[in-house]
Amino acid sequence: MRVTFFVLFLLFSSLFTVILVAYAQETPEVSERGKEVYEESCAHCHGIEGRGDGSAAENLLPRPRDFTGGVYKIRSTESGQLPTDQDLFDIITNGMPGSSMPEWESALSANDRWELVAYVKTFYSGFQELEETETTPRLINLTGKVKYSEKSVEIGKVLYTDLGCIECHGNVGRGDGTSAPTLVDVWDFRTWPANLTQGWTFRGGSSTEDIFKRFIGGIAGSPMPAFEGDTFYHFGLTPEESKNFALLEKKVENEEELTEEEQEEYDKLYEKWDTTVLAALDRAEGTELTPEAQKIYDNAMKDVFEKSWHLANYVKSLSPERRPKSAIGKNVLRSQYKEGDLPTLDDAEWGTLTSSYYPLVGQVIVESRQFNPTIDSVNVKSFYNDTEVAFLFTWDDRTNNTTVEETEDFGTSYIDGLAIQFPVKVPKGPTDEKPYFLWGGKKPVYLWQWMASEPESIKELTAKGINNAEEQEDQGTVQVNSEYKDGQYRLWVKRALKTEDKKDLQIEPTVFVPIAFSAWDGANGDVDTKRGISSWYTFVLEPVPSSRRFIYPPIVALLSLGLLVGLRQFVQRRNT
Amino acid sequence: MKRISLFTICFVIFIASWVFLRFVVGGFISVPIPSSVIAMYMALIFVAILVHVSVEDTRFSEFIRPIHETLVDENRKTRRIVLAVLIPILMLGYTYTNIAQKAIPAGDPRVAHPVPPSEFILTYKEKEIGTMQEVENPYRHYEKDSPEEFKSHIENGRRVYYDNCFYCHGDHLDGQGHLAHGFQPLPANFQDPGIIPNFQEAFFFWRISKGGPGLPNNGTPWNSAMPVWEEILTEEEIWDVILFLSHYTGYSYRPSGEAH
Repeated sequence: MRVTFFVLFLLFSSLFTVILVAYAQETPEVSERGKEVYEESCAHCHGIEGRGDGSAAENLLPRPRDFTGGVYKIRSTESGQLPTDQDLFDIITNGMPGSSMPEWESALSANDRWELVAYVKTFYSGFQELEETETTPRLINLTGKVKYSEKSVEIGKVLYTDLGCIECHGNVGRGDGTSAPTLVDVWDFRTWPANLTQGWTFRGGSSTEDIFKRFIGGIAGSPMPAFEGDTFYHFGLTPEESKNFALLEKKVENEEELTEEEQEEYDKLYEKWDTTVLAALDRAEGTELTPEAQKIYDNAMKDVFEKSWHLANYVKSLSPERRPKSAIGKNVLRSQYKEGDLPTLDDAEWGTLTSSYYPLVGQVIVESRQFNPTIDSVNVKSFYNDTEVAFLFTWDDRTNNTTVEETEDFGTSYIDGLAIQFPVKVPKGPTDEKPYFLWGGKKPVYLWQWMASEPESIKELTAKGINNAEEQEDQGTVQVNSEYKDGQYRLWVKRALKTEDKKDLQIEPTVFVPIAFSAWDGANGDVDTKRGISSWYTFVLEPVPSSRRFIYPPIVALLSLGLLVGLRQFVQRRNT
Repeated sequence: MKRISLFTICFVIFIASWVFLRFVVGGFISVPIPSSVIAMYMALIFVAILVHVSVEDTRFSEFIRPIHETLVDENRKTRRIVLAVLIPILMLGYTYTNIAQKAIPAGDPRVAHPVPPSEFILTYKEKEIGTMQEVENPYRHYEKDSPEEFKSHIENGRRVYYDNCFYCHGDHLDGQGHLAHGFQPLPANFQDPGIIPNFQEAFFFWRISKGGPGLPNNGTPWNSAMPVWEEILTEEEIWDVILFLSHYTGYSYRPSGEAH
């Protein structure tokens, strides 16, 4: 009886779920509701007419999407195709990491989100045409995924160089390629190549499938191209054929005489290459391919897909799964004790520490404000000995700006820099007043300010406000060394724990000291108050691991054993 | 079938209570319970078990029989040796991990919504507006008098919000804007039912116009990233954005004149 009831219950509930899901996926007709939701929740960024020109748009980078051109970055469809309804629904639902587009799942019902999809589509006539001609956008073929493996990552790494990804994304993927500072999107707004080591900023998600889709479909409107025939060298030829063909091509170029056999081979390969590229072009233009051309094209694409999966695996390998955690209180910068000399900038010993991650966000508190900071975070490691403390600060910056320059397209570019902030006097406890986190206030802060224009020196400042900083008279107590490489600054700083100067912070073991950071990306227009900033975090000279931990536990263990033996004897004696 | 001993029953009850408190109540049903509170409950349960087994002499002797046996009985030698090894090892591990634990800095004892001093005079820059208790939103009356006018104030408030506030307080007014993760304390969440209904519009005006630096010391003004908005926004813009907050969230402010 009970079992029957249970089975029936299961049946009905699964049926109910299926109906619900089917209902949720049905795209309703455009109604007033979509317009209403759009105007209440979207228009202030995307504009009342969908032109991406809402009142907040000025301050946002990436800019809000202009819906009127039908250009959509994040699609599951091939290059040149419109997105599917599901694509639009997913973006509204999940938002776009690394941009100001939030998830709307928590704020809008599924029904409202579908209404929005329908309404957003009305801004571009192409969607209407699709419906009228009853065509659907061509989906990216996701079959044939190459499983993540070290070998695949290796193949991907070679492709990363061969395909020219380096030009924009840089040697190790930090978005610092040579063309990075020049890029604009189709609306002429500045755009930066993704920093592939920060997967949490990938707008369309950072799963291997997501990355693969960006390769095959491209990121429309941005300089990121779709992988099509001409992306690949000798599209349609096998590696063997490509090698032969390259040799022959060279001979032709050098006007060497080809043998009859060579000429035949050359013509054959040339034709194969040519037909494949033509088939790809025809397909992109929407021309129906002959079965033969289709076959040639499919064969060639197999290779493209496989390479793209390898490359996606490589990109996936560059970043941690998610943004490192940075909860205050848990994210303490613990300087480790070391006997003798502290490591220098290039010492391998830094590799033995894990770095603490401190997120930076725009300084949006006083004018002039930075709404679109480009420096994600500062990572810090530290060692100390009996007299000194050394720090290693690393942060990603796509460009090395050492001078103030007028650029042709993007206004003035300033000098990169980093400032490390401590209070002059360490608060005695959690209830004791700290200086204001933004460069102090009535209580002063003690700062080390380093600028890329003078990479071998660092200034000690005292500040009582973001616009009220003074260089200390007594400079030179802080040693510094730095390096910029592959889109990353590494700054090494060393100072004595104790100094003579009363305006300096005095550092003592085991005392928790507030610490905060400011960073300037000159190419992003950062100068003075325009910068990335952090909250107060905590820094401490971690006590030398106590030898107590090797003394007390064995004593406790022996005591408990003794107690057991004693108890047994007591019981035995009472029994007799 | 062998009868399960009273000791085993008590032991199982004790362990099950801990599992129930730690994982079922604290986690599944509700948020995790602090370990000190769990320790208190466990002490109570321990005493209750002791009382239960010691009310009758026969029950007590039945309870301690297994302990007794384990300690002295010739047949229980293996069990005895296992315990004599296991208990010291557990104690060793416990003391070691407790000594090796890293110090955690104390958190800020911050009052999230500090009460302003009584007889507090609300100001915009230097200009006095009135006492905190009495001041009302000067545009609130349009809600009844002139819906058209009211709507234009809401729309202006919306513009102010998205030009200035949403970076931190979020598109959904839930305190989860795209810059929020970098700040501590986290930006206020206006969707929290404990926020808007608990405060007068004048309180919001005070918090917006004077920002983080205007907080009393128990609000840790040195940590707050809230700007001093009177330096950027006009008086009307601040009142308008206050209207927008309640319009968007659907919550009403505490009426003026009521003590907090």
